Amino acid sequence: MEKISRRQFLGVSTKASAATLFAGTFAPTATSFFGLAGVAEAATNKVTPFTFAVLTDAHLYDIKNHKFDSILARGVEDINKMNPQPDFVLYGGDLGQLGKPAELEKGRKILSKLKVPIKGIIPGEHDWYLDMGVTWGKMFGKVPWSFDHKGVHFIGLNSILIKDFWSAKGLTPVERMDLVSELECHRCGLWGVREEQLDWLENDVKNLSSNTPVVILTHSPLWDFYPRWNFQTEDAPEIRHILGKFEKVIAIHGHVHQVIYNQIGNMTSIGMLSTSWPWPYPSVDVPYPDIKMNRVDPADIYDGLGSHTVGLDGSFGGVMKYNTWSDLLPENVRRGVKL
Amino acid sequence: MNKHNRFTMAGSIAVSLTVLAMFILNEPAQAKKPFTAAEAEDQKNALLEVVAKGDALWHSGSLGTNGLACANCHPDGAAANTETWPKFQTNLGKVGTLRDMINWCIQVPLEGKAIALDSDEMIAMEAYAAYTSRGIAIAPGKDYQSGAVPVISGPGYPTGRD
Repeated sequence: MEKISRRQFLGVSTKASAATLFAGTFAPTATSFFGLAGVAEAATNKVTPFTFAVLTDAHLYDIKNHKFDSILARGVEDINKMNPQPDFVLYGGDLGQLGKPAELEKGRKILSKLKVPIKGIIPGEHDWYLDMGVTWGKMFGKVPWSFDHKGVHFIGLNSILIKDFWSAKGLTPVERMDLVSELECHRCGLWGVREEQLDWLENDVKNLSSNTPVVILTHSPLWDFYPRWNFQTEDAPEIRHILGKFEKVIAIHGHVHQVIYNQIGNMTSIGMLSTSWPWPYPSVDVPYPDIKMNRVDPADIYDGLGSHTVGLDGSFGGVMKYNTWSDLLPENVRRGVKL
Repeated sequence: MNKHNRFTMAGSIAVSLTVLAMFILNEPAQAKKPFTAAEAEDQKNALLEVVAKGDALWHSGSLGTNGLACANCHPDGAAANTETWPKFQTNLGKVGTLRDMINWCIQVPLEGKAIALDSDEMIAMEAYAAYTSRGIAIAPGKDYQSGAVPVISGPGYPTGRD
């Protein structure tokens, strides 16, 4: 029953009329997302309405003029065309394919064309397991991180940490990376953020009041979608517990290369499209079957991919727009998914 | 009763006895014996060896020129939709087989060269795709996207890459 009422809530969004304001336009502003009459949820701390953009999963190869270079560049271009500009961009991991410095450097270069700053970037498994994040760290800095923006607390965690399966087998770094780069790697095991980051998270939110709006970015989803493909984070229950004190948490993740949505307790979770290739849905029931993407044409290199814009209103109501280059989205998703 | 009739009657009795014997023994006279457990095991292993070879090819960038493998878009053989072939496929522009589609994928998304439809490599990849769809009802022409057989861990067969 609960699920049905949630679905109705999403389908018959009170913001639907506002959504029509920007149907067909590419660059919704915070104002056009919500109109001027945002319904205040009294308890939540005030947010100064704003938008930010998110890109993820470029999977760049160390091959000259690779098609994925142009797809990421197109995502960057789209964000640069937004008028007005989003406040900043977040990046959700898997910038490279095999963790090579040349891949990450190429990605850094393409992303440097963004007009607005990248305020937060997290690693994916493809960035990490050649040199255990050394190159990535040198290029993109520390993870976990957090920052505050216009009343919202943003958190980024590294969710792709695997227990050592390679040492005992005597695998080389390249062999380790090759294995991890398979989505269905059955020897690699489950990912998680692990103890140290859980401690960090606990400490990071310790002094925040429960009405603080929180947005968390991870590579993998913070719920069990399809563990075999690591569409999960092993210690997500602990993360959700630590963040359980907040009235509302918006969790945004990469890795799944598809439209996927869930609600767990106070957490609204949304998955993103890649700029490389789309993934089919795994053979499990999804919790909100109305919030999915359509079949993809494999002949169109831009189908199934895109960038994302998130608008947050004054009472921490949110909408995510999937900015696609094809007829990928059913009408309800195209209008924007309420977060 | 003439001689001819007697002869026929004797023949009829002989046939009836044979049929009766077949019923009693529960074994058609001309049928081969079922495979022994050892033979069946050998056959299964032969298949799994080819499936494992297909698995390796499915995950290899060697078929194309841009680093991509079939598994980039079809992990666990998902959305290969093995059970739906042959069917009209818009990218092929005709009714084709899974092997035709594998070649299309090698040529377009992987930017490689088509391989012979009857090559060992093609048979191996077909075997891998079929094995990851085991148990799914055959539905030629069905237009939908299916996932792979859900598994908790492991591919369910020795890959040779363990």
